[in-house]
Amino acid sequence: MAANPELKQKVEEVLRENRVLLFMKGTPEMPQCGFSMRVVGMLEQMGTEYGAIDVLPILDPLREVTGEISDWRTFPQLYVNGDLVGGADIVEEMFESGELAEVLGVEQPEAAAAPAQPDAPANPQQSPPLQVDS
Amino acid sequence: MIAEALPGAEVQVLDETGSGDHLRAVVRAPQFEGKSRIDQHRMVRAAVKPRMDDGSIHALSITTRPSR
Repeated sequence: MAANPELKQKVEEVLRENRVLLFMKGTPEMPQCGFSMRVVGMLEQMGTEYGAIDVLPILDPLREVTGEISDWRTFPQLYVNGDLVGGADIVEEMFESGELAEVLGVEQPEAAAAPAQPDAPANPQQSPPLQVDS
Repeated sequence: MIAEALPGAEVQVLDETGSGDHLRAVVRAPQFEGKSRIDQHRMVRAAVKPRMDDGSIHALSITTRPSR
């Protein structure tokens, strides 16, 4: 089935108008799918501004459109500068590796960094070398 | 199937639910070099498309890694 040309045009327009755009199930306030929720959570941590489109009311026609635009038919989909970055799996990997911050042009938030070593004292106490009187 | 489409690829497929139709594929392939993640995923998806289309795989999570 070919994509609806009007909807496709609308989507292309929205992509031009939003540097960071998330197609998701539900809304950022009330995601309707765990994968969409994860991506929203990561974007929120990044502190970046983004547009969000709820795909649920137009799910099937929209699948056809994103299939034609970016060869991707599942949601969520995160776009930056009009290019598809990925779905939840890819975004999560990129979030953890710092690539997402890079693509978004923001600083990697502290909390997203790899878990730090458990608090080790900066100067570990070291016992003096054992000495034996000869 | 994936290894056929991407010669030299190391493929690990995990059956996440035990039902055989929700799979996770971990793929490491020389062809991924210089490709964005989205393109890497597209390559793997294209390789398994027939199985997705005929419904024998219902869901596939993909993890891609560049070749060692």
